[in-house]
Amino acid sequence: MSEPKEIFVRLDRCMGCHSCELACAVAHSESRSLYGAIAEQPRPKARVYVESVTPRTPVPILCRQCEDAPCMHACIAGAIRRTEEGVVITQSDKCIGCWTCVMVCPYGVIGRQTEEHKAYRCDRCPDLAAPACVDACPTRALVYRSVKDFSRDTRQAASAGMLGAQRG
Amino acid sequence: MASCEKRYVIVGASAAGMAAAEAIRAIDKRGSITVFSDEPDPPYFRPLIPFLISGKKSAADMTLVGQGPYCGAGIDVRLNSRVEKIDSWAQTLDIPGGERVAYDKLLIATGSRSYIPPEIEGTDTEGVFALRTLADARAAARRVESTQHAVMLGGGMLNLKASFALLERGLQVTLVVQSPQVLSQLMEPEDATLIRNALNNAGLKIETGAGARRILSNGNGVSGVLLDDGRIIGCEMVCIGKGVRPNVAFAGLEEIRIDGGVVVDRFAACSAGNVYAAGDAAVTFDPITGGRIVTGLWTNAVEMGKCAGYNMAGRHAEYGGTFGILNATQVADVPFVSMGIVHTTGRNYETHVSSSRNAYRKVVFSPEGTRLVGVLLVGDISRAGLYRFVIKERMPIAKLKSNIIDHTLHYGHFMCP
Amino acid sequence: MADGKDLQSKSMDPAIREMIAKAATMEIKTVWDRYEAMQPQCGFGDAGLCCRHCLQGPCRIDPFGEGPSEGICGATADTMVARGLDRAIAAGTAAHSGHAKHLAHTLLKVAKGQAGSYSIKEPEKLRSVATRMSIPVEGRPDNDIALDLANAALADFHEKDTPVLWAATVVNPQRAKVLTDLGLVPKGIDHEISEIMHRTLYGVDADPVNLLLGGMRCAVADLAGCYMATDIADILFGIPKPSFTEANLGTLKAGAVNIALHGHNPLLSDILVTRAETRNEAAIAAGASGINIVGICCTGNEIMMRHGIPACTHSVSQEMALITGALDAMVVDYQCIMPSVATVAECAGTTLITTMEIGKIPGAKHIPFAEESAAENADEIFDIAIANFRRRKNKPVDIPNIKTPVVAGFSVETIVAALSKLDAKEPLKPVVDNIVAGNIRGICLFAGCNNVKVPQDNNFIAMARKLLKANVLVLATGCGAGALMRHGFMDPANTDELCGDGLKAVLRAVGEANGLGGPLPPVLHMGSCVDNSRAVALAVAVANYLGVDTDKLPVVASAAEAVSEKAVSIGTWAVAAGLPTHVGVMLPVLGGPLVTQVLTEKVKGLTGGYFIVDLDPESAADKLLAAIDERRAGLGLPLPGVSQTIGAR
Repeated sequence: MSEPKEIFVRLDRCMGCHSCELACAVAHSESRSLYGAIAEQPRPKARVYVESVTPRTPVPILCRQCEDAPCMHACIAGAIRRTEEGVVITQSDKCIGCWTCVMVCPYGVIGRQTEEHKAYRCDRCPDLAAPACVDACPTRALVYRSVKDFSRDTRQAASAGMLGAQRG
Repeated sequence: MASCEKRYVIVGASAAGMAAAEAIRAIDKRGSITVFSDEPDPPYFRPLIPFLISGKKSAADMTLVGQGPYCGAGIDVRLNSRVEKIDSWAQTLDIPGGERVAYDKLLIATGSRSYIPPEIEGTDTEGVFALRTLADARAAARRVESTQHAVMLGGGMLNLKASFALLERGLQVTLVVQSPQVLSQLMEPEDATLIRNALNNAGLKIETGAGARRILSNGNGVSGVLLDDGRIIGCEMVCIGKGVRPNVAFAGLEEIRIDGGVVVDRFAACSAGNVYAAGDAAVTFDPITGGRIVTGLWTNAVEMGKCAGYNMAGRHAEYGGTFGILNATQVADVPFVSMGIVHTTGRNYETHVSSSRNAYRKVVFSPEGTRLVGVLLVGDISRAGLYRFVIKERMPIAKLKSNIIDHTLHYGHFMCP
Repeated sequence: MADGKDLQSKSMDPAIREMIAKAATMEIKTVWDRYEAMQPQCGFGDAGLCCRHCLQGPCRIDPFGEGPSEGICGATADTMVARGLDRAIAAGTAAHSGHAKHLAHTLLKVAKGQAGSYSIKEPEKLRSVATRMSIPVEGRPDNDIALDLANAALADFHEKDTPVLWAATVVNPQRAKVLTDLGLVPKGIDHEISEIMHRTLYGVDADPVNLLLGGMRCAVADLAGCYMATDIADILFGIPKPSFTEANLGTLKAGAVNIALHGHNPLLSDILVTRAETRNEAAIAAGASGINIVGICCTGNEIMMRHGIPACTHSVSQEMALITGALDAMVVDYQCIMPSVATVAECAGTTLITTMEIGKIPGAKHIPFAEESAAENADEIFDIAIANFRRRKNKPVDIPNIKTPVVAGFSVETIVAALSKLDAKEPLKPVVDNIVAGNIRGICLFAGCNNVKVPQDNNFIAMARKLLKANVLVLATGCGAGALMRHGFMDPANTDELCGDGLKAVLRAVGEANGLGGPLPPVLHMGSCVDNSRAVALAVAVANYLGVDTDKLPVVASAAEAVSEKAVSIGTWAVAAGLPTHVGVMLPVLGGPLVTQVLTEKVKGLTGGYFIVDLDPESAADKLLAAIDERRAGLGLPLPGVSQTIGAR
């Protein structure tokens, strides 16, 4: 299998429009359409969070799918595991809603479904070719690349910058 | 014996022991790993025991291997094997049936046992339980059938969860708590108001400031509890949740240091060579105070076990310690998270309390106000893990202080300082 | 990249598919490319949950309850949605009534002898409309009556002693009472538009139901504007009579000077049509076979209805006419003209000519059109087109050889005249009798636009098929008529195949009684979007004949692929008139549950009409049939047996 992909955030592109949150909620609804999802009970929940440091600095934050996930080890019900594709998932039927995972997640990206008393987090949209948030981002601030490719892009941008600076 | 094939032996097949086994296997593909358990049941998630009583989960739902991060590959678990003697010079241990097992690396992960206060009379009566093992849970579930009223002695997390399990089975339940309020180990009395209200609304009867003197019985076992103020509460079942004590009584191993639990360094090694300890059986340290603590938490046991496993397999892994308090749960629709130092009365901490109808929040800073040392969240527990991170890393929090107090802290604050 | 499946998702029209493919090879960006690039579209806007009415914004409300649940000012989701909808209604009303106002000014100029290119073509209609407006006509010359009527029309725009008369006098008495009781009779057309802007300003109306009622009143003002435009256009340009013509890109002629008229007001298009004769020689001198005028969108409908001018294309595919390379000029006035036509025209070698002060497009040639100088302006336009032809003649053009026969021109007057051949004394009787008997199950009006979100024409085709087979008499206006005409729904040769037995028989009876030697076409073209008022006139006539209110009639409407805010305002007045009104694309209201409920359910208890929002044409047609049957049951009419061969599966 080729390199697994992660969801990276290019902060300089984020407009704070929250379209990713909307698309994420819709992708995790029963009806899978905005129009149907709006009417659903319990309300569909987004797993990506657009926080703001200042009003002008929006920061999208989502589960990093940690290789050594604190949540997975902390779960007292064995409900969190890592799939073959490397996605850390919470199995709803096993979750007992004790929120220990919430307590240990250093990113604060595990949510609490109040009606169903279950923890939830980003599952990398296993049914879609690319995660819904990535597709929804109108400025392509969210990108779905392998670590290798993303890092290479960052290096290339940095090198272009350094080169430009050196040549004056 | 091939020099690269180490023999790893682990005493205790619960959180610490199995986490260590998985960690070892992740690094060392070839060594043999044997885990000894004194229980008849294959390893299971101990915190799920109340669910067996309520019927929400079956024993099969609770098995460890095959769930979460546990795949159990190449790990030999031996049940019904209570380790009798350990010889740390010869690096062997004895198990029932006369077998002597040799080890290269030994982990003591024997966990803890329920503390039964000796001053309470009649704790050996039929119908009295300290819910620790699956066997205890099965027995308790059976006793439920002939019980109308259960009395829970002790107001900690275990008894609270067990109370709800019993309420779900249709029993009347009374919680008898010595302290002025429930969950006194995890928070102060005024912090627990919201939770107390939720418990009352859920139908749980609570007697605070009361202790049990004697458990009464008739031909069918428990018939009531005599309190120290002279009142008698009629009941058919008693659950004792008065804390745990580390299991460290071994024959042999006199040379390891014990101070409540087995004393270990930051690499999980104890004072005998090639012997490690982790989990409830071990004494670790609190990064906030730097002092030694024992912990009775599954999450901590797993972390310590993993650390021990890595070190046993030759990879240096330093344990960051654990808070004295690190608990998350939900009782009667009210979730809460308590971590670090939350008992602040009469002590010199900078404390901020925010209280509303549906949520309660207590944020505790060091006396100089430059570090976060404790957080209690009731009702709104979102992003609790961020606070654990801040406390554990002893982060300078000057810029983030108002966000921490307002509970508006999020990861973006760390990414964009 | 335009492959087969790709083209299918863009348009059902084979001529347009050819042009889309060609545009791709020419690397010309089309409306479909821009739609693609716009994905994903903002979900907040889609749900109506964003507001930019004040500088404290922009605000958005999270429909999933995690983010803000009100705007910064405290506006709830329903308030936000209602305010947004109201502004759309106001915009639609402004457009239709602006068009009407322009015509009223022209009538005034004609009355004063100031616009020689225009004249009163229908003195009888002038008199009947004047009479309706309580203007004396006995023994008075046309110009005097016209002066009074024009002034009365202009007076309807502001508050005065009487309400908007073009609304108050055009509905049946019971409906007038319903509207009066609900406070929905507009005081002045521009007044209502202005009040909408006021009440939707920061900090005025926050009550969603109050906002919706205000919006509905403004929509009734829109009806007045439409009706006024139809009346005056008929007076100045003639009442539409049956015309026999064609539709689609195949109406362009490689050897002729092709001029496409696009936009709305016959003030411009009618003059060009009547003046084309005078420039024919010049065209021939340039080597052309003559001047070939074709229509796009509503102004195309106006000249088709009155002069049988062919329709080139409609709405979403307007750019494709340019891709043929055969257009020598595209002349536009206002509304529904995509600014992109300027860019496409440049690539195609066509001159885009704008004519209205309020409607300029960068890259176009602007010829300010004035009624006083209409003839000169028209000549200038023809000269540009002829010059372009000279440049392009003998160069290859790409005209798809696709066109369909069209029988159009079904004004109310035409319909009544046709029916009088069956019953001279009571021309409505044959219609009503057939409705009662079930040969006509009900009536459905298709209106509106083509929306890029729907494969062009897909919804119209599917729904019309189903309804026709179920014996529903189908009327059409605007680009809805455009969609249907390009797929053969206005060709009498298809009546037998498309219509159910009952309907077929009626159409045949009327057609033969009128000497057509065959049936009427399956769908009756009633005109442009302002001519939706003709459908109202017909419904009101039937209602009066039967002595019931319009909300009892088995009449429904559908804007199956709506786009413009004009569609929102028309849809709203259709609901105010008591009609079940289908919309085939999503209105930005779902974010406001109360507003959604009011528009689709609760309003039924007020006006008898309601919105049916259904994006699936099959299901939408079923709902319309159910609505028709519900009305039939209400009138005590038999419901059809199960013999319907409902639509092709």
